[in-house]
Amino acid sequence: MLPQNMGSETNIKLPFSFIFFSLIALVLSQILLLVNGQMMVNGSFRIPAIWSSAHLLVLGWALMVAMGSMYQLVPVAFLTKIWNEKFGYIQFIVTAAGISTFSAMLYWAPQRALIPGILTLLGILMFLFQMFMTLKMQKKPTILTAFVGSALVCLFITITLGITLIYCLKTGVGAAYYQAIFKSHLLMGITGWFTLLIFGFSYKMVPMFALSHGFPMVHARYVYGLYIVGLIVSLISFFTGSSILLKLGFLLLLAGFSIFSWHIRLIVKKRLKKRLDKPFTFSLIAICIGNIIHLVAFITWCSHDSSALIGPLVYVYLLLWIVLSIVGYLYKIVPFLWWTYKYSQEIGKAKVPSLKDMMNEKIITPILSIFIGAVITVFCALAFKITILFNIGQFVLSIIFIIISLSIFSVFKK
Amino acid sequence: MNLQEKVFEALKSVYDPELNINVVDLGLIYQVEITNEADVTVTMTLTTPGCPLHDSITRGVRYCVEAMEETRKVEVNLVWQPAWSPDKMTAEGRSYLGR
Repeated sequence: MLPQNMGSETNIKLPFSFIFFSLIALVLSQILLLVNGQMMVNGSFRIPAIWSSAHLLVLGWALMVAMGSMYQLVPVAFLTKIWNEKFGYIQFIVTAAGISTFSAMLYWAPQRALIPGILTLLGILMFLFQMFMTLKMQKKPTILTAFVGSALVCLFITITLGITLIYCLKTGVGAAYYQAIFKSHLLMGITGWFTLLIFGFSYKMVPMFALSHGFPMVHARYVYGLYIVGLIVSLISFFTGSSILLKLGFLLLLAGFSIFSWHIRLIVKKRLKKRLDKPFTFSLIAICIGNIIHLVAFITWCSHDSSALIGPLVYVYLLLWIVLSIVGYLYKIVPFLWWTYKYSQEIGKAKVPSLKDMMNEKIITPILSIFIGAVITVFCALAFKITILFNIGQFVLSIIFIIISLSIFSVFKK
Repeated sequence: MNLQEKVFEALKSVYDPELNINVVDLGLIYQVEITNEADVTVTMTLTTPGCPLHDSITRGVRYCVEAMEETRKVEVNLVWQPAWSPDKMTAEGRSYLGR
C-alpha cells in the first residue's frame, strides 16, 4: 500500500474568480435583454444592446464558466496541477477586462470594439496556452485527455474562424466561402468545443456524483472516434457543398452522441447512490435532450427543406444541452468551492454542513423545469415565427436566468 | 476500548461532505496503527483518485485524531492500492445510500 501524492489540490480562488464574474455577466446580459425587450418585440435584433447581451451571455457567462470549471476540474480529472497559477490570475484579469470592455463598447460605441476584442482574444489564447501546458504535464494521458484536448483545439479553430469571418466581412476577401466559414465557426464552437468538453468531464463527474463502480470505459473510445470523424466530415461538407458528406457527418455525430448517452446510462446503472441529486439529474436530462436534438438535426438535414429549422435547432442545442448541462454542474461545483473555502479547515474539528446543505435543493426542480419550458416555447416561436410566443418565452427565460444566478449566489450565505 | 478502537470511533465524526457518510462507514479507513503507545498512523483511501475533496477529508482525519487526548504524533497515509470498492462499506454506510 504505497502512499501517493495526487498533486490535485485545487486553488479555490482561481476557479471562483471566473465563476463569480460569469454569474454577474449572466445577470447583466439578461437585464440588457429585458430592458431592450421593446426593440425585440419590433423584431430589431441587430442592435448594440442585443450584441452586448449576446456576447455577455456567450463569452461572459458560458466561456468564463467553462474556463473556471476547467481550472477546478483539470487537476481533479487529470491528477496534475495547473501549469502556472499566477499566469491563471493574469489570464483571468485580461479575459475579464477584455469581455467587460468589449461588451460595454458593443453597447455604447461598437466602432471602438476592436481593441477590447483583441484583449478578449488574448485572454482566450492565454487560457489555451495554460491548458496545453497543464495537459502536457499529465503523466499518463487518458481518453479524457483526448476529449478535453480536442475541445481546446476546437476552441482555437472557433476563434480563428471567427477572426476570418470578420476579415472576410471587412475586406470582401473569400466572400464565396463566407457561409461555409460561418457554419464551421458554429459547428466548432458548439459541437466541437462545448460538447467535447462536457463529454470529457462527464466521464469524471457522472461516476463521482453517482458513486458508480465497476463500469466499462471502452465505449468512450467509440464516442470519441465517431464524434471527431463526424466533425471533420461535416466541416469538409461545408466547404465542398456535398450533401452526402453533410448527411454522413451528421449521422456520425448522432452515432457518437448516442453511444455517449448509452454509456452514461450504463455508468449510472452501476451507481451506489440510489437517489441522485436534483442538479445532477438535470445534467443527465440534458444528455437525453442533446441526443434527441442530434436525431432531429440528422432527420432535418436529410429532408429537402431544412433551412428554416437550422436556427431554432442551434438555439435549442445551445440552451437545452450545453447551458442545462453547465447549470446542472454549476449547482454542484459552486457549493463545493464555497464549502472548501469556508469549511475545509473545520472538518474533523467541528460539525460541518454537507455539500447538500449548502443550497436549497427544493428550488432546483421548479426552476430548471420552467427553464426547459421557456426554451421550448422560444424554440416553437422561432420555428413557427410567432413573435408573441417568442417574447413570452424570452421574458420568462431572462427572469429564470436571473433566479438561477441569485440561487447560486445564495450559496455564499451558507 | 483500546486506543485503536477509540480512533476508529472518533473517525466516525468525520464525514465525506458529498455523500454525507462518515469515513469509517464509507470504508475509507484501511488501518489504524499505534506505535510507541500514542503515535497513530492512519492508512486510508478515497472513493476515486483525484477526488476534489481529497485534501479536506485527509485533513479532517488528521485533525480528528490529533484532537484526541490519548494521541501524540499523527500520520495520515493516503493509498490507492487496494482501490476502494463498495464492499468496503459497512451496512450502515450502504443503508444511507439507500442500498
